[in-house]
Amino acid sequence: MSLSRSPSPVPGGGWSSPGLNINTSGRSSPSKAHAESSGTSVMWESARQKRAGDSGYPSFSTQDKGFFTRHIRRLSSSLPRFSSGQNYAEKEKLGRGQWSGPRIPLLGRLRGIVARMGRVMKIRLLVVLLIFLSILLFYTTPLVHYWRRTTWLGGGQKFVIILAANVGGGVTEWKGAREWAIERDSVRNKKKYVARWGYELEIVDMSTKKRYAHEWRESWEKVDFIRTSLRKYPKAEWIWWLDLNTFIMEPTYSLQDHIFNHLDKHVYRDINEYNPLNITHPLTDGYLDDDSRSPVGDGNVNSVNLILPQDCSGFNLGSFFIRRSAWTDRLLDIWWDPVAYEQKHMEWEHKEQDALEQMYTSLPWIRKHTAFLPQRMINSFPTGACSENGNDTRIHYNQDDRDFLVNMAGCEWGRDCWGEMYNFRELSYYLNRNPWERFKEDLITPIWFKITGEKVKL
Amino acid sequence: MHFAYPPRKSSNPPPYLRASKLPGLSLRRSRMKVIALAGLAFVTLLYILTRPSIRHGTYTPHKPSGNPPAVIVTLMEDGKYSKSYLDMIKENRIQYAQKHGYQTFFPQVGEYELKGAPTSWTKVVAVRHALTKYPDAKFFWFLEQNSFIMNPLLKIEDHVMKSSRLEELMIKDHPVVPPDSIIKTFSHLRGQDVDFVLTQDKEGLSAGSFVIRNGDWAKFFLETWFDPLYRSYNFQKAEAHALEHIVQWHPTILARLALVDQRIINSYSKDAKGQAWQPGDIVVRFSDCSASSIGACEAESQRFNSQWRTSFKNV
Repeated sequence: MSLSRSPSPVPGGGWSSPGLNINTSGRSSPSKAHAESSGTSVMWESARQKRAGDSGYPSFSTQDKGFFTRHIRRLSSSLPRFSSGQNYAEKEKLGRGQWSGPRIPLLGRLRGIVARMGRVMKIRLLVVLLIFLSILLFYTTPLVHYWRRTTWLGGGQKFVIILAANVGGGVTEWKGAREWAIERDSVRNKKKYVARWGYELEIVDMSTKKRYAHEWRESWEKVDFIRTSLRKYPKAEWIWWLDLNTFIMEPTYSLQDHIFNHLDKHVYRDINEYNPLNITHPLTDGYLDDDSRSPVGDGNVNSVNLILPQDCSGFNLGSFFIRRSAWTDRLLDIWWDPVAYEQKHMEWEHKEQDALEQMYTSLPWIRKHTAFLPQRMINSFPTGACSENGNDTRIHYNQDDRDFLVNMAGCEWGRDCWGEMYNFRELSYYLNRNPWERFKEDLITPIWFKITGEKVKL
Repeated sequence: MHFAYPPRKSSNPPPYLRASKLPGLSLRRSRMKVIALAGLAFVTLLYILTRPSIRHGTYTPHKPSGNPPAVIVTLMEDGKYSKSYLDMIKENRIQYAQKHGYQTFFPQVGEYELKGAPTSWTKVVAVRHALTKYPDAKFFWFLEQNSFIMNPLLKIEDHVMKSSRLEELMIKDHPVVPPDSIIKTFSHLRGQDVDFVLTQDKEGLSAGSFVIRNGDWAKFFLETWFDPLYRSYNFQKAEAHALEHIVQWHPTILARLALVDQRIINSYSKDAKGQAWQPGDIVVRFSDCSASSIGACEAESQRFNSQWRTSFKNV
């Protein structure tokens, strides 16, 4: 008998040598007594196995069973090998290392692959690798953030989100745990969104102050904050005002994709499309020019400076866009006027919102530059708001359509703000699970539930 | 069979491969690569720069071409005055306009729906109407009916609205409503930023004669001035007080306004209410005549009738 290689020790004791396993006695089925009779203290592994399963069947397969078992080595060694034939010195080595192939460590094998590659192929692979790495680097580092921020790349700095926090704080009421929780959730939601898309976030303090109280203009701070923000962020083009009780349900929508890249398709300027206030439109006075009498202004989307949603009872200023322009300066300037206020403050339940409706109705220059967005694009309501006429597909949130933002408008009047906020937060997380979470929760958990009858949280 | 050595190369070297070294072909190859790479880079750059990121065109308002250069708006009040007097007023305006290529616009009181507001509000909507009628005019000069243009030589765009001239004329840091309004006219205002020129008399802002520059601001201003909430407010002097109100409360209006000396565009026939007309002044207004007895304005006009006719003839 010849050994193909030298025997080596194994932890279980004895010699794990292929040659030594072969029954040297010549018998094809070793007898039970064989191990004892050999009289050695070494217990062979094969023998132990054989003794354990004493069932009358041969517990091991003999070496020479079947054609392939017998000939595999010869067959495989005769197969062609893809090695460089030019180098004769190397061929010798390869021939010898044939069987030790799989035992080369991974790094070594890789090195082998690389060595066998041509130079051009190497360069190509390197380029692919570099591209892959840069993409990875781009999306895992703050690089993507800065890309999206830059005005001439992603354009994020053109958008400023103003979030009205601390509403009525300081004077009207002390904030309880729930109010703090609402505020925390809402702010975190906007911060995440802004960090993702590179927009600016301005959190403003709407607490009642004497400055406004004595001038009776408690609700017109909006105007001042918009003005301050325009000054603070000189690159900002659009300001997005958000009330505190809002939640961005789909943080994956960028404002550009969602609205502004195709603004002309999304907005409608003719209020007759949806006109809960029954405002007569367009104006018909003979002294006005054509643009002022046209239902769509000059028809060019670039002249839109104010974008509002309309809920069941008219304009809604819980979420709206206003653009930096001379027009905006004028609007912000005349929004609050003591003469108008003096005459109307008893009727103007919603203060600045009603004032805007009034201006829209009576001033052609405002009308010409105002456009409307379907409510559910930026300002979906939960079922509790505007609920007099039941569910309205133009107004109320629908999770199947993945509405962008929910505004829990009026939840402080007898509804549960924190409850709604919590539910929408969880729904948003649920809807925006990543593929791995979906796999776990939509596939594994139900299967597990069917098998074992218990629900697990992975 | 083993070779101890690699097979020998043939002793006869292959013929020189000229084709592969053809300068034209190889150059073209490398050049093509460079071109392809450059093209790729260019396309990438193009993609980066023209992605549908927020690329807003800017809003460009209609730019008046200056045809006509100016429009004279005079609100005519039929019924209260004799026809000959009104014709004379019109003739005065038309002659002046013809000399400089201007247009005239004579709307009637009662032509516009005011929703119960005093008729003096008509002037605001009349000027707004003129803006609609003459979209390419540069300036609109509202001149009250009871007045004459006395000096045909002065052009509105040079005498008042030229930037350098305006910078000399405008009264800076002056209370808007005399004598003691805390709101004062801006002290750093460039002539080109002024869209609205008017004067003060002894009582306050005088809205009997003013010049306004055509543009978005003018529409904004006139429509705001004409706001139904101002009309319904019962200002004591109707539109005049509404004007004083908005220029004091709204800085976007004040920032476009220049006060000039009264005699520049608004001399009075008597010096009881303001500065009196002197020869050479462009305009004389028969101040306060409409409030006093019927025919007072026509009587007052007699004093200046021959004067304006002679001065117009001499040009």
